[in-house]
Formats: sequence, structure tokens, C-alpha cells
Amino acid sequence: MKHGACAGLRKLRGILIALVMIAALWETASRLLARPFLPGPGLAIGALVRLVTSGTLAVHAGASLGRVLWALAISFLPAAALGLAAGRSRRADAFVSPFIYIVHPLPKVAFLPIIMLVFGLGELSKIVLVGIIIFSQILVSARDSARRVPRHLIDSVRSLGATRLDLAIRVVVPATLPDLLTSLRVSLGTAIAVLFLAETFATETGLGYLIVDAWSRIDYPEMYAAIMALSLLGLALFIVVDGAERLLCPWRLERS
Amino acid sequence: MVAIRDLALEYQQVAGGASGPIRVPAVSDISCQLRTAAISAIVGPSGCGKTSIIQAIAGLLVPASGDISIDGIPVRGVRPRTAVIFQDFGLLPWRTVEGNAELPLVLAGTRRARVRRAERRRRVDPVLDELGLSAFRGFYPAGLSGGMKQRVAIARALVSEPDVLLMDEPFSSLDALTREAAQEFLLQVRRSRPLTILLVTHSIEEAVYLAETIFVMQGRNPGTIRKRFDICENRLESRFAIGTGDVQDFRSSPRYLELCGSIRAALRESGGTDDGAAE
Repeated sequence: MKHGACAGLRKLRGILIALVMIAALWETASRLLARPFLPGPGLAIGALVRLVTSGTLAVHAGASLGRVLWALAISFLPAAALGLAAGRSRRADAFVSPFIYIVHPLPKVAFLPIIMLVFGLGELSKIVLVGIIIFSQILVSARDSARRVPRHLIDSVRSLGATRLDLAIRVVVPATLPDLLTSLRVSLGTAIAVLFLAETFATETGLGYLIVDAWSRIDYPEMYAAIMALSLLGLALFIVVDGAERLLCPWRLERS
Repeated sequence: MVAIRDLALEYQQVAGGASGPIRVPAVSDISCQLRTAAISAIVGPSGCGKTSIIQAIAGLLVPASGDISIDGIPVRGVRPRTAVIFQDFGLLPWRTVEGNAELPLVLAGTRRARVRRAERRRRVDPVLDELGLSAFRGFYPAGLSGGMKQRVAIARALVSEPDVLLMDEPFSSLDALTREAAQEFLLQVRRSRPLTILLVTHSIEEAVYLAETIFVMQGRNPGTIRKRFDICENRLESRFAIGTGDVQDFRSSPRYLELCGSIRAALRESGGTDDGAAE
């Protein structure tokens, strides 16, 4: 636990150093350009504080976070289950892999108009779009990771009389969990980028909406404040996934 | 007694092109008997099918022909009292020492009635104590040395209270001194239990030191048993009077060197040098 706390502090220090460097670069660029569309970080932070104190940020960040979490809830488990089945069963793979080869390389954001036509302009279409992105990423990762489960581990547990279900629960799932969490981190990054786009249509909530709204009002400090809030949302989700990894994969801490 | 009669094994290999997997013979015409409560060894070059024989006795590989029986009962699938220790120990990295050791009981619990935690501890604790692992029960395999991992693998095997123990190159990843300590440790474990042990190894010296019967294999795809050596110095009666006596160090005797030479010559005659082919 002590080792984990030290690693956490090191990570926090790294994040703080990166934030200071970004702020310094931002301030320098702002002073050099001296244009209204690039205010300094001080002005943007001031706008962020105003958004926080007025409660506006909580409404929009809450809406964005809710969409990501719903998308995660509907996509992660089915994608992981299907991917793991495809990675360990030829029959399942024969069904899943062609689907992956055709659909995975497509930019899912291109489906936005179709998704809106099918699921309407409301919340569901935004959740479905983000969910499809997470689903696709987790599906591929789960399948590939399940294929890489070492043969000797399977044989070793089989020799103890394990059933197929035992192998799935006690070998395949734990062996692939670190890869699934890594993939979740990557897909959350993409999901937040897409969320911005989805929230620029037919909604009045969400950080994407807040950014575009501030832009249309030529309130650049608030626009940057909303961008910062979107980044912080991404950072918070990363930290949550890191925490989940520490909790669910403690054997990896011992290795490090 | 483990009896193997006219055993032939095959494995599937993915071929190039569109022909799909092909069946490759692993071993053929294998007939031998492993004495109850004795250590037997199979030595042979890589690719001669030693591991396939272990897998077949363990019930993990179905014979193409021939049969295997243990105490007169044909092997049809995994047998609860046959334990296997694999070359790389087969420990689950996400389970602690205790978690790995109790795995046979956990799996038995999912097949029949659930084995309660107290019952698992009652059976696991003495084995961990005996193997000097109690202080490491909360460690994950990544935090253990090769020798310790091997002890955990032995602990896991012993928890299922086996009467047959199959060991596939169990000491190959250990350094020389740890390997010798592990060999002594195996003898110590054997002295405390009437286990029938089959050891597959590349090391002639290891086989001669530990086994009372050595089968030398030759050929590849399929491999066969070329010769059998009986080492009376390692026989049950002279070496393993359970609970009494010391293990004499046979390794310094002229007979030991002579046997190593004979087995080496048998391997050379059969062209048994390792050209790097996969097992």
C-alpha cells in the first residue's frame, strides 16, 4: 500500500509539472500573439472559477460525465464478453472477426447522422455514438488479449480439473483484465473527443455545448475554461481507471 | 502403477496455405510401466514427444491409439489424484502463493459442493508449512525467486493429495545451485509420501541422480523409447525407506558417472542432439 501511495504521489507530481509547463507555453503564446482568441491561462482560470461558483459547470460536466458513464455501462461488458469468446473459441471468432475487420477501421463518428436518424436527437443518440466507439475498441482488445493467454496457464489449470467456465473465470478474465483496462483508457480518450462533437448538436447541456456556446458569444476565456473542464474530465476518468487497475490487478503493482 | 501400452499421440499443426491444420505424429509405440511410489524419468532431445506423454498421462491429450492406465483404471480425461508440474510452473500471476496452492480445492469446490475457506486452510496450511512457504503466503508469483515459484508449484500439486506426480522439465529454469536444492527438496517430498513420480528432463545427470528407471527417447515426429536403464542404487527399498535414513549422495560414485556416460552414448547413437526443434 505504501509502495502504491508513493507511485501515486510520483504520478501526481508528474501531472502538476506537465500542467505548469502547458500553462507557461500557453502564457508565452498568448503574449506573443496578443489576440483576443487566445487569452492567457489566468483569464481562462478566472472564467473557470466563475463557472464553478455559479454552478454552471456542474450542470454541463455532469451531463457529459453521465453520457460517458451510460455509454460505458452499455458497451464495456458486452464488448469484453464477445471479444473474450472470440479470442478463445473458433466458432465465436468466425462470427466476430469479419465484423471487426469491416466495422473497426471505419471512423465511427461518420455514423453520427445515421445514429441521430435512428435514435433521435436526444440523449440516446449521443450515448449510442460514444458507446459504439468504446464497444469497438474493447471488442478488438479483448479478442486479441484472449488469444495471447499463455497456453501453459490454460494447461496448468486444466490439469487441476477445471471446466471451461472455470478457465474463463479464473484464467482468461484475469489474464486479459490489464489489457482491457489499457484499452478502456484509450477508448475513453477517443470517446471524450467524440462527445464534444456529439454535444454540439441538438442539446443545451454538456461541455461540448458549453465550448461552442461560449465561442458563439465570443467569450473566449469561458470557451477555454470549458475546454479545460473537458480535459479535466478526461484526466479524472483516467485516474479512476488507474484506481480500478490498482484495485483489480494488484499483482501488477508487485511486478513494478 | 502407471501402465502405458502401444501409445501413439498426435498434435494439430497449422500448415501454410489453405490446407488447414494437419495432424503430426508426436510419439508412437510407447510401452512402459512406472512403478508405484518410484521416481521414473524420460530423457530425450527436444521434439521427441516427452511433454506429449506427460500430457497424455495427465488426461490433457487423447491418445491416437494405445492406452494408459493407472492402477488398472484407464485414463479418460483429467484424474483428480494426478498432479502436474509444468516447466514454467504454471502459477497464476494474479493469485497469491496461498491462492495458487489452494486452487485444486477451489476447482474441486466448483465441481462438487463448495469447499469452505476453513477447510481449504486446514489442508493448505500444513503443506505451506512443510514447504517453507507460510511466510510468503500473501506474495504474488512475480515477487518470488525461481526456486520459491517451484515450491509453490509443488505445494499446489501436493494439496490435491495426489498419488501420481508428473513433472515436465521442472528444474530447467533454475540456476545450478537452486536446481540441486530443488532436487533434494523433491527427494524430501518423496520420502514423506508414497508418490509415483514421472520426471521429464533434458538433463542426464538429473535423471540419473533422481530416478530408479530412465527411459531414453529417440526420433522426432514420432519419437519412441529407445532404451531403458534401471538404477538399483535409486530403488525405493534402498533409498526411500519412508521416515528413516539419509539420502546418500550417489553423484560422487563411479557408478553414477558410468550411468551418465551410457545414457549419453544412447542418446548420441539415436541422433539425439538438440537442433532447436520445438518440443
